[in-house]
Amino acid sequence: MDWSVIWSNHDLYLSGLWSTVLMSLAAIATATLLGLVVAAIRTSRIPVLSQVARAYLEVFRGTPLLIQMLFIYFGAAYLSGFGITVFGAALLALTLYQGAYIAEIFRAGIEAVPRGQWEAARVLGLPRTQTFVGVILPQTRAIVLPPLVGQYLSLIKDTSIAVVIGYVELVRQGQAVIDRVGSPATSYVAVAVLYFVICYPLSLLVRHMERKAVTA
Amino acid sequence: MMITDPAAQQTAVTTSRISLSGVHKRFGDLEVLKGVDVDVESGEVVVLIGASGSGKSTLLRIMCDLERADSGEVWVGGVPLHDRKRAPEIFGHVGMVFQQFNLFPHKTALGNVMLALLKVRKLGRAEAEERGRAALKRVGLDTKADSYPAQLSGGQQQRVAIARALAMDPAIMFFDEPTSALDPELVGEVTGVMRSLAEEGMTMVVVTHEMRFAKDTADRVIFMDGGVVLEQGPPERVFGSPAEARTQQFLHRVLDT
Ligand SMILES: Nc1ncnc2c1ncn2[C@@H]1O[C@H](COP(=O)(O)OP(=O)(O)O)[C@@H](O)[C@H]1O
Ligand SMILES: [Mg+2]
Repeated sequence: MDWSVIWSNHDLYLSGLWSTVLMSLAAIATATLLGLVVAAIRTSRIPVLSQVARAYLEVFRGTPLLIQMLFIYFGAAYLSGFGITVFGAALLALTLYQGAYIAEIFRAGIEAVPRGQWEAARVLGLPRTQTFVGVILPQTRAIVLPPLVGQYLSLIKDTSIAVVIGYVELVRQGQAVIDRVGSPATSYVAVAVLYFVICYPLSLLVRHMERKAVTA
Repeated sequence: MMITDPAAQQTAVTTSRISLSGVHKRFGDLEVLKGVDVDVESGEVVVLIGASGSGKSTLLRIMCDLERADSGEVWVGGVPLHDRKRAPEIFGHVGMVFQQFNLFPHKTALGNVMLALLKVRKLGRAEAEERGRAALKRVGLDTKADSYPAQLSGGQQQRVAIARALAMDPAIMFFDEPTSALDPELVGEVTGVMRSLAEEGMTMVVVTHEMRFAKDTADRVIFMDGGVVLEQGPPERVFGSPAEARTQQFLHRVLDT
């Protein structure tokens, strides 16, 4: 393998890496927020709304992210005539898809908090939202954090799917290098290594949290 | 979603009286309360006794709107809890002490006591802290303000729970088996606090198996059986010469063990 190819194109890899990180951070923020809201609705047992939340979960966990992304990108283009930006479509699809999984992670955490916590807060006069944010959520940390960070890992890797709608991220830049100078094996190894560099610290974090959860 | 803050309606709770009439409650096929009438006067200490499963907790939970009666009238502190719209007015104005303490584990003793003062009463931090510390002092735990629940004994945790309720200046205090989860040697510190509250004139409804507490603190004992109030009266009378055979049997059982 000719590793000099990597170095001479390092600006492409770095710009791809940056796009991947940017998309990951944005999607982590929006998917977490969506997951929280959906979990709050699911556990509130508000009649119609919780059924809608459930339907959302089934649809977005039951179909491939690839299809969702294509559907959102080309569907939006078809519906509105001018469409949605590539970044916007990829972010929306990642948010809806990952938000469904993250919602279930939060739900498991919320349901593990004893009912007495809600009741104590209620008799004290705390409004529901206040109770959720100030009393219940902080208690879900030990249960929620390890699988949540694990889900972030899969989200980061899922950003590569945005290639199909033309988002220029790490994988796409790796391919650009191949288009330019060949050496596909070398280039893909470089791409894989860069993913690993982002993900490995998070893996370590998950393992650390799981170990702490066991000994706690 | 509209969330009305019940505590903002400061005028709602005007008395410490309770009046229940014809209260029915069922869970699925199980009829737990079959027409209960209970009146509690301001300043009265009432102890509810009865076999496990006789509906004592359910009755207490109806009185603080944690459960809703299927039928009947429920007036607590001047609020008609049978009126769905008005029922939330009760929150923040009565205190409930649970068997399992239900302290917030991620907050210190002081943090537990201050939370509703800050978020419901909307006090400033300084004032909330002052009132919080005063409440902890009333239960003899001013030195444990910075401890987390897990660092406290069961008896101390339950006293923090009592302080948390007291800090809100409740019109009525409800206790659901407050000492049942405690090691025997820790029961006294909790009943001691409850006794001093009673002496200060707090209106209290207490479910307990501590017959000694009932005998020397209660103004009235209510014996529940089969989903109704079977017998009630001053503790000397109910314990000394129970009118009903079922009451005799029950007292025999709990006083012997
Ligand atoms: N939320 C509930 N759902 C179904 N059954 C319940 C519920 N709460 C209480 N029960 C049942 O109602 C009966 C009375 O319970 P409870 O009021 O807790 O009695 P006590 O406090 O006197 O032991 C019990 O048989 C209990 O299992
Ligand atoms: Mg009970």
